[in-house]
Amino acid sequence: MIEFKNVNKWFDKLHVLNDINLKIPKGEVLVICGPSGSGKSTLIRCINRLEKIQQGQIIVNDTPVHDKSTNLTKLRAEIGFVFQQFHLYPHMTVLQNVMLAPVNVKKIAKTKAEKIALEKLEQVGLTEKSGAYPAQLSGGQQQRVAIARGLVMSPEIMLFDEPTSALDPEMIGEVLDVMVNLVSEGMTMCVVTHEMGFAKKVADRVLFMDEGKIVETGTPGEFFDNPQTDRASEFISKILTH
Amino acid sequence: MEIFPFFLKGLWMTSKIGFISLVTCTLIGFILGIFRSSDSTILKRMVGVYVAFVRGTPFVVQIFIVFFILPEWGVQLEAFSAALLAMAIMGSAFICEIVAGGINSIPKGQWEAATSAGLNRIQQLRLVIIPQAMKVILPPLVGQYVLLIKDTSVVSVIGIMELTRVGWVTVVRIPEGLMVFTLVGFLYFIISYPLILLSNYLEKKMAV
Amino acid sequence: MLVDFNFRVILEYLPLFLTGLRSTFFIAIVSIALALITGIIACSCRISGIKFIKYPAIAYIEIVRSTPLLVQIYFLYFGLPTLGLKIPEIQTGILALMLNSGAYMAEIIRAGINSVDEGQIEAGISSGLNYVQRMRLIILPQALGVTIPPLLGQNIVLVKDSALLSLISVMELTRCGQTMTSERFMPTEAFLTVAFFYMCIYFCLKALADWSQRKLIFREAY
Repeated sequence: MIEFKNVNKWFDKLHVLNDINLKIPKGEVLVICGPSGSGKSTLIRCINRLEKIQQGQIIVNDTPVHDKSTNLTKLRAEIGFVFQQFHLYPHMTVLQNVMLAPVNVKKIAKTKAEKIALEKLEQVGLTEKSGAYPAQLSGGQQQRVAIARGLVMSPEIMLFDEPTSALDPEMIGEVLDVMVNLVSEGMTMCVVTHEMGFAKKVADRVLFMDEGKIVETGTPGEFFDNPQTDRASEFISKILTH
Repeated sequence: MEIFPFFLKGLWMTSKIGFISLVTCTLIGFILGIFRSSDSTILKRMVGVYVAFVRGTPFVVQIFIVFFILPEWGVQLEAFSAALLAMAIMGSAFICEIVAGGINSIPKGQWEAATSAGLNRIQQLRLVIIPQAMKVILPPLVGQYVLLIKDTSVVSVIGIMELTRVGWVTVVRIPEGLMVFTLVGFLYFIISYPLILLSNYLEKKMAV
Repeated sequence: MLVDFNFRVILEYLPLFLTGLRSTFFIAIVSIALALITGIIACSCRISGIKFIKYPAIAYIEIVRSTPLLVQIYFLYFGLPTLGLKIPEIQTGILALMLNSGAYMAEIIRAGINSVDEGQIEAGISSGLNYVQRMRLIILPQALGVTIPPLLGQNIVLVKDSALLSLISVMELTRCGQTMTSERFMPTEAFLTVAFFYMCIYFCLKALADWSQRKLIFREAY
């Protein structure tokens, strides 16, 4: 479904993605972890072409992402992206935020788009906030709206870039609950996160990255209980101590 | 005081030039501002050169260039059109910078969220970026309107009978400089001050 | 069109242009210095608590900002003689520029002072500093960083404004262009040369303003 072939990316002299080869089958829940600067955010941002690559290929559902002739609008409609800082549109209500893409990208009629948007808001548990503005919501609520905004186009893939890192601890749970529910619906998900509890619970596979390379990969059981590399062991012990 | 209607005619001419300039400069300025904040380096540089020329030279020199030099290149303009053209060239450059500044002040995350949703660049500008940028653009934009109205006084040098020239012509016949130009100043004050108050009000309101 | 650009004539008039340029420099430097003093005085009056000096200051600033500079120049040029004051045009021009820029500088300085954090002032009061001490030791040093870049911007405006003095027969840079046009009827060569000189001044001043912005922002981050 998503395939990385010999992908390399540089930011000036910095080699941020170093020979990435990866296959993510349909329905897989992949958790990507690693220290800051390891390239994990960059990796998923390349999937919907928020970032460009200099070498290699990324293929999503038989479509090459970084090809000049690729229909980006169509590609992005199949991928939902959730940001660490939510990035909801502050000048629109929650409902308008969620409806924006269906109306303007898929050209769905407003009444129909509203119906779909309300369904997604119900799915994340925020129907009663549909008329509110983002500034009136807590961080956890804003992020759940952002997830609804990602889901509204009925994508096959959902990408999450550290979705709970900007939240106060009490709100992390409500967002993770929504994400766990998505898993049970068979969604293909790539989640960059430090939330190891989430990984252990629902991930099919864990990817550990360091300095732009994929250092280790395995099921959560394999990875957490029996890390193969020193680097991975070091990382796991550090994040589990606090 | 029989010459007062003469002053009102001048005020009317000033208002005409001012209003037409506000409209044309806003339209052109917005388009240029979008170019100026785009990703295309060529576009940014080209608009940048134009803006640098306008900001680096006095308006009166620009008027002379439009009025005296264009005829040498085959473009014959009568005074009123030349004045409108010079105002348009000058005002658009300043509004361009205000608009570009507003667009550039919007956090990158908003662009990324809109891109990820699949919106094309025009949709991103229309639905997400510019509505938010208006908060930053509006106060200095209205301030620029005041400047444009005051700058209409400079077109008096090519003989247009707007308010300042009315004063200039009057003072030659009636050598009461203080009275004549106090009246002229007062009439400008009447049309500028409300806009200044509006600009101050908008600045406070948008700072929230 | 530019093929016929007559460089020889420009060289012939170069001494005249350089005289005009020098004149423009002189007018600019003197006007800026005087405007700065005017601005500081006007600002002090503006923020004072004494209504007797506050309201006239507000009136002065608002009137200057609501009326065109050209009208202010004509007001002085045609008005002062009627009061019996016969001043050379260049001084009238400098006076007009001083009063005009002074009002804008007063507002820039006022914005700078207001930008200093409320907490700083409270800390000063708590330490027992009086008004003058707070101004001198706490507020003004910090306001400086916010104030200098816009003041430099105002200087650029003033240099461009000085071109209007050509309309009251002051022999500065723009007037040289007008002179060359009326003598030789070559407006292209005349005004493009004038524009070129102004652009040079502009880029120098802009470089200075940008440099000051970088240097002072470093101090603010401290």
